[in-house]
Amino acid sequence: MSSEITAKEKPGEHPVLWVARPMATAARQFAKSLFRPSTIVYPYERLEDPEFRDRLEVASGKPFGVGHVWDNYRGVHALNIATCISCNLCAFSCPDVCIEMVSVPGGDPKHPKKCPQIDYGKCSYCGFCSDACPEGCLTMTTRYELSTPKRSEMVYSPEKLHEIFRSKLPMNPIRLARPENEDAILLDPPLCIGCNACSRDCPTQCITMLDIPKPEAKPGEKLPRRIWKEPVVNDSDCVRCGTCISVCPKECLFWGTRK
Amino acid sequence: MSNVTLYSVSYLLSDAVLRAIGSVLPRPLSTWITNADLITGIAVLVFGALLLAASMLNTIVLIWWERKLLGRFMDRRGAMHVGYAGLLQNFADGFKLFRKTTVQPREADPLGFYTGPTAYMVTSMILFGILPISSGWNSGFLPLSLLLALAVFSFAPLFIFVSAWSSNNKYSLMGGMRSAAQMIAYEVPLLLAVVAVVIVAGSFDLTTIVYEQQNYWFWGPLAVALIVFFAGMLAEMERIPFDLPEAEAELVEGWNTEYGGMLFAFFMLADYLRALVGSILVVLLFLGGWTLPTWVPAALTSFPLAGIVWFMVKTYIVFGVFVWIRASLPRVRTDQLLRVGWNRMIPLSLLSVFLAALLVTVKCLPVFGCVPSLGV
Repeated sequence: MSSEITAKEKPGEHPVLWVARPMATAARQFAKSLFRPSTIVYPYERLEDPEFRDRLEVASGKPFGVGHVWDNYRGVHALNIATCISCNLCAFSCPDVCIEMVSVPGGDPKHPKKCPQIDYGKCSYCGFCSDACPEGCLTMTTRYELSTPKRSEMVYSPEKLHEIFRSKLPMNPIRLARPENEDAILLDPPLCIGCNACSRDCPTQCITMLDIPKPEAKPGEKLPRRIWKEPVVNDSDCVRCGTCISVCPKECLFWGTRK
Repeated sequence: MSNVTLYSVSYLLSDAVLRAIGSVLPRPLSTWITNADLITGIAVLVFGALLLAASMLNTIVLIWWERKLLGRFMDRRGAMHVGYAGLLQNFADGFKLFRKTTVQPREADPLGFYTGPTAYMVTSMILFGILPISSGWNSGFLPLSLLLALAVFSFAPLFIFVSAWSSNNKYSLMGGMRSAAQMIAYEVPLLLAVVAVVIVAGSFDLTTIVYEQQNYWFWGPLAVALIVFFAGMLAEMERIPFDLPEAEAELVEGWNTEYGGMLFAFFMLADYLRALVGSILVVLLFLGGWTLPTWVPAALTSFPLAGIVWFMVKTYIVFGVFVWIRASLPRVRTDQLLRVGWNRMIPLSLLSVFLAALLVTVKCLPVFGCVPSLGV
């Protein structure tokens, strides 16, 4: 039995090499690690730090490895309170229900302005909120360090998000839904089916569904199956968030200029 | 410089402290407290405390040294956050272990469970009273200090087996049995390798052995004995590749599976104490102890405490080689371990004894002193 084991163990090289070869490998690794370690001591050295990248002789604009942060990286949000129209779309679109609209100081005390407050304990950084934002005031930055000893500190108030906006971090490209100079919601009447989706989802409830007369059916012609109502937008209440356009199942609402 | 010894330092300390206390106290008490016998007695206690503190400190720094070296071998940095370069990390770990509850298994035998680690720790610490660190820096003239050191060193399997058996855990028991088998198998070649050194040096006294290496270190003439001793020490310390007694993949944590808190810290400390003792023995027996070769400039050997400094440097380098082996080699199987021990190590050690006897008989040892090379 023991002879069988001995026979199997011989890989055809001198037994001294069984010890010498791994020790040589380890010594080579040791020397390399002393002078040029592969690890990056993260909190002290970071790949996005230009000084560190210079030390590694990497051009600072060039993407480098895993640690490099591109501007479409989805990190902590930045909120511009000044341009926020309180449309609630971010909170609507959030799949994790981590956005809550809270009032911010300033403005009319009777009707305080509401801005998103984000709970990063729940956030999954999907970016739906910044995609939905019609004004481009809620975007995502490249900041990714959020660790804190308290759970309550994971909730970022609008003011805190505004601070991040002011710190001028690289931000995601803003997707503006509304074209320039087109600030009215227009309706393509023949396409509308009166489904009430726009009115239901409007954050300011400025869309009213008004009855329209049901036309007489001509002989041989079939009337479309629809609810005989049409949305009417109150332009003075509308915040131009575009929710109605995005929820419309028939794509009959569009941006335009009211004559 | 040579008259500064560990004992004189502790005598000076106790003398100064007791005289300071005596100058404050009233007359009859002050004469009593500055009495020469009391000063000597306190000096002995201070001596022991200094030895204990030095060995503990060295052990903890040795763990740090291993973590840093092993980190570089694995392309990491090792401990680096607590203290300068992570030097205080092991102190923090020690405090954590100190504060933890010791959990005793319900079926364990308390007598063996508690005395095992304690005796293991104590016998490992006794070794530091035996080993000379520099000229004059030992606990006294012990003509058979090498024999005593190895005798105390070989207590360990007994206490390991006691604590493993009394833990009442199959993994502990298996680890303990493996440990006993391995230590007994490697004790023989280890002692035979030491016999070669003793034949050449002509003494069992470690200080004499070091001074016999004034002209040539024994690693040249006794290279075979060094290899055998090194391998035997690896097995005695239960370090990779001979760490079968605590093979994590098979035996959870080996013979200290059931131990936690301070008792685990005892095992850990004693393991590293024994590693330190092993490195020190290699330095004393084969690498010339605290002496340096004669061609080294005098400036490097004449500064205060030069002997201790060079001794520590050598010890840490030898321990670095142990770490290097740990980083390179995989764990061996039990049958491989025992076969290497009985079939290779014992013939090699016998060969080294024969070579040593031959070198002494034909009186060709001075040849090594004449070669002006690293052989020293």
